[in-house]
Amino acid sequence: MVLREFFDKDVVALDLQGDSKDEILKELIALLALDEKSEGILFKMLKRRENLGSTGIGRGIAIPHCRSLVVNRLRIAFGRRKAGVEFKAIDDHPVHYFFLIVAPPLEVSNQYLPVLGKIAQFAKEPQVPERLAKLETPEEFLALLEEKSV
Amino acid sequence: MHPQLEVLLQIQDLKAQKRELEEAGGGRQVQEEQFKLDVPAALEALDGKIEELEGDLDPPVRRRYERMASGITRVVAPAINGTCYGCFVSVATSVASDRSERNSLRSCDNCGRFLYFVS
Repeated sequence: MVLREFFDKDVVALDLQGDSKDEILKELIALLALDEKSEGILFKMLKRRENLGSTGIGRGIAIPHCRSLVVNRLRIAFGRRKAGVEFKAIDDHPVHYFFLIVAPPLEVSNQYLPVLGKIAQFAKEPQVPERLAKLETPEEFLALLEEKSV
Repeated sequence: MHPQLEVLLQIQDLKAQKRELEEAGGGRQVQEEQFKLDVPAALEALDGKIEELEGDLDPPVRRRYERMASGITRVVAPAINGTCYGCFVSVATSVASDRSERNSLRSCDNCGRFLYFVS
């Protein structure tokens, strides 16, 4: 299993506009193209997870995640906010790069935790924040994932 | 979506999150190592939120929810393509196709789980 399998360019947004955690979460959720009610429920779930402790893991990267019945398979999205957003990250720095992960409560393939771990591993790779900052197209993001072979 | 189903869905999702944190290794390990989550505090917060949401259930729904929750892990099951994914039995055609029916609080005739229709 490699991360590239879970992304396509439709779930990559390199120009998020939000200036707050809530706005960013809503923009990320919108990338999944769910119905309005499901979007609302998912937002509440992600907020509750953030209230337990920030998913900002440092180096300008956050991985908001949760399980929810509003999706019937693992869904992932990536977003970038060049200006950075206060996210209460563990290093107290603003977050620029967001990986959203949502999975149903029960998955046949059980990919949620391995994918969460792989994204955390990707985030720790040398030069990753710098490379994410320089991306100009979603295709370049997908190519970066392939290059890193995570 | 029926408002009570929305509450039931949130309770179920929070319980799934709680179960994952309670298991040694797996989810708990990821949360502690990658996100530096204070797991005991998180579990306490989740319990509080679940209790609060349970208080939002109407008494008849809550009684049914409590009865079911004592025996099964998931009281809400997705219905996908006309099948209840709790027991994998077809949902009555009238329920699966009628939009007004789908907006009410429906349950599976076979297993009794509340149904969440996934389109």
